[in-house]
Amino acid sequence: MTRDDSTGSGGLGFEPEDLDGHTMDELGDYLDAGRTPADPSIDASPGCRIALDALERLRRLGPALLDQDTAAEPQADENWVRSIINGIARDARAGRRIPLSVAEPDDDLGITEGAVRGLIRSAGDAVPGVLIGRCRLDGDVTIPGAPIRIDVEASVPYGLPIVRLTQRLRTEIGDRLRTHAELNIAGIDIVVHDVRDLPKGGGEER
Amino acid sequence: MTGQDFGPALDDADDRTIAGRAADGDVEAFAILVRRYTPLLRAYARRILSGTASVDDIVQESFVTAWQRLPELDDMGRVRGWLMRIVSRKAIDEVRATRPHLEVDGAEGLELPARPGDRPDQRAEQRAELTALADALRELPDAQRESWVLREIGGCSYDEIAEQLEQPVSTVRGLLARARKHIIVRMEEWR
Repeated sequence: MTRDDSTGSGGLGFEPEDLDGHTMDELGDYLDAGRTPADPSIDASPGCRIALDALERLRRLGPALLDQDTAAEPQADENWVRSIINGIARDARAGRRIPLSVAEPDDDLGITEGAVRGLIRSAGDAVPGVLIGRCRLDGDVTIPGAPIRIDVEASVPYGLPIVRLTQRLRTEIGDRLRTHAELNIAGIDIVVHDVRDLPKGGGEER
Repeated sequence: MTGQDFGPALDDADDRTIAGRAADGDVEAFAILVRRYTPLLRAYARRILSGTASVDDIVQESFVTAWQRLPELDDMGRVRGWLMRIVSRKAIDEVRATRPHLEVDGAEGLELPARPGDRPDQRAEQRAELTALADALRELPDAQRESWVLREIGGCSYDEIAEQLEQPVSTVRGLLARARKHIIVRMEEWR
């Protein structure tokens, strides 16, 4: 694939004869590898150095072009966003079914794992500044009384003591799940994956 | 907008939080993801397709796929790149539907029009460079442009590009080398 592509290079040559026997493909790999291990036959070649500089500059321009294109695109139209949201299958995340205790043996009550995740997220809303991300229920939730571990990711605001926030979050989650989901909670693991600045003027305390 | 009565705005939360919630079934979090990345994904699809096609349809389909497959994503913090992969696949599929046979050697008859001379003098250098790059990209045969955009904008590996274009890696390497040569030479000529 080293055939000349007839661009009429006007002084710039990127064929092997211009690159002391190297190819653009090779030089691309050399750049990808961070120019290591150093290859003297490339580094000492004026033609290769010109090509490498050009390739490097071009490489920086790719992301910049995308940034510029993105800035030129309009924001998503809200009707369009809604049409997507209305088209997705909301029940796709229901997950496992968690049985609830019933007064009559014939009754069949339960809630879905998805609903339990919703409870966990709303527990996060009760702790100012905390945003819950992903959460998992680890254990066989389909068996009443089986021990369940809860894994939660959270984003917290900068400047508030993380230990206190996570303790409060743990309490909120535990209370809600025991009350509404009747889960036997063996533990709640909270991973704080993000500490963020609060927007200026945003009420960080109620 | 998010239906929260207080607390921090979910709209400003980091990707990992938003994508994690969406993976768990939070539809409003997914809506934030849609708002956040629609301009980027439209722009990316446009570069792959070089204009004409219906980027809105591609982006919309991509979000539907993303909703379905989001729980499979290992690192929610990398949702941006993951969405770009979905869009590039849809875009290339779209291309293939209308152009069944990839013209790998399409560079042969490449016509090189003189660049329009209406370039404003006061444009910042970076902006001029990007415009030149965009013009050079438009001149490329489809397969070269697609390879270059997937590689340099989408950050795809050679293997990923080969898989998407259904071509051997060696062909992709050739396409990329020719695309780069063409772009560099044209940008140099226009300086």
